[in-house]
Amino acid sequence: MKKLVLTIILGFCAAFTFAQSNPSFSPATFTAEDEVTITLDVTGTGMAGQTDVYLWMFSNDGVGGGKDALTNGQWGSSSEAAKMTRVAGNVFTFKFTGTTLFGQSPAELINFGFLGKSKDGTKQTQDFKPFKFDPLVFTASQFRVFPSKMDFTDMATVYFHQDLATDQNLQRMFDVKVTLTFYSDAIPQTVVATRNALVATKESNVLYSYSFIPERLITLPAGTKLGKFSYQFTGSIKDANGTNVPTSGPVTEVSYTVFN
Amino acid sequence: MKIIKYIVLALCITSIYSCKPEEFGPIGEEENIVKSLQGTWGLTKVTQKDEDAATKGFPYKELDITNVYAYKDLVIALQGDAAGTPTSFIITQGNSPKISDFNTGTWTVDNVKAPTVINLKSGTLTSELTLGSYAELKTGKFYLKKVKKSNGKAIVSYTYQFTKK
Repeated sequence: MKKLVLTIILGFCAAFTFAQSNPSFSPATFTAEDEVTITLDVTGTGMAGQTDVYLWMFSNDGVGGGKDALTNGQWGSSSEAAKMTRVAGNVFTFKFTGTTLFGQSPAELINFGFLGKSKDGTKQTQDFKPFKFDPLVFTASQFRVFPSKMDFTDMATVYFHQDLATDQNLQRMFDVKVTLTFYSDAIPQTVVATRNALVATKESNVLYSYSFIPERLITLPAGTKLGKFSYQFTGSIKDANGTNVPTSGPVTEVSYTVFN
Repeated sequence: MKIIKYIVLALCITSIYSCKPEEFGPIGEEENIVKSLQGTWGLTKVTQKDEDAATKGFPYKELDITNVYAYKDLVIALQGDAAGTPTSFIITQGNSPKISDFNTGTWTVDNVKAPTVINLKSGTLTSELTLGSYAELKTGKFYLKKVKKSNGKAIVSYTYQFTKK
């Protein structure tokens, strides 16, 4: 009986541990000029059980202009400056400031990623990426979301600024609609629901928007939380014969913030 | 010359004699803000604010979302006893999105004379709302603000304007 109770308690503890976001950051949101502490639990990775974990970090994954962290050292011999601090068992922390770590300006830094490794590079975790730096300056773009950070219970409004579109089809697009796809916060994130052809509000000749609260659009299964959503503006253009032809913009993903 | 001296002396005596405490009229009874809050209020406007954008001085800080959903369906009844002490509340949501995780319970304020925070409570759950300016309370309007934070930093807020029914 005691074993059964102990097993159940341990099971709950394990489930609770995995339910926490890993890695986590303090503060939860930060610019490239803020000091950030990464907390990484290497349980279940190739580094589980190791006492020394070194970070291999890189900037601007998938967006161009990326660099390796100045603290990385060589793959076969990590720099001591990249060593994480062990706080308990498989849990390690590392403190850094983006601009100092990558030697790049706040305007250059968009996101970063990392993995944990042994000093000699024979063991490693999977990649953890990408994690966005908050911008320090506002940059106008053809697509944006308001507010810039939200959780899945908040009202979100997605915008398409047609006057800022660089693609000719998007510049000419009419009958503008939105496709929204919602993803769970579980790992891996799975699609919870998709809503197509939601008619966008024409706020002006060059601005379209669509506002929504997820639970007003989709039915969330009990206990399901959303981790992110994606949006895509779609519509029509005229071909050479004057016939309407469907066209669409890129898919943009928005991660939900966890408030506390 | 002597006449001038007498005139100056007379002026001084008159000035000093004329100094006396001025009587002010009554300033009126102290306004009981908490009692003024009691009653039935309809939600008339909802504004969403990107606090993070406001902090950074970015454009697109606020958005009026009143008409996106049926927010105006929502009615809140703040009840109190004869002495004006807050007791229970009831939110009738209608087809409006929720503004609190629960629709019935009790309400309290942080300061009876000058409340700045209203706490809605239901069992162990508490929803904290900041009370806006009292300036429009006499004309039948008051404002509640809900702030969502991450590590103590305000990220998003909602300002609800209520009008007395």
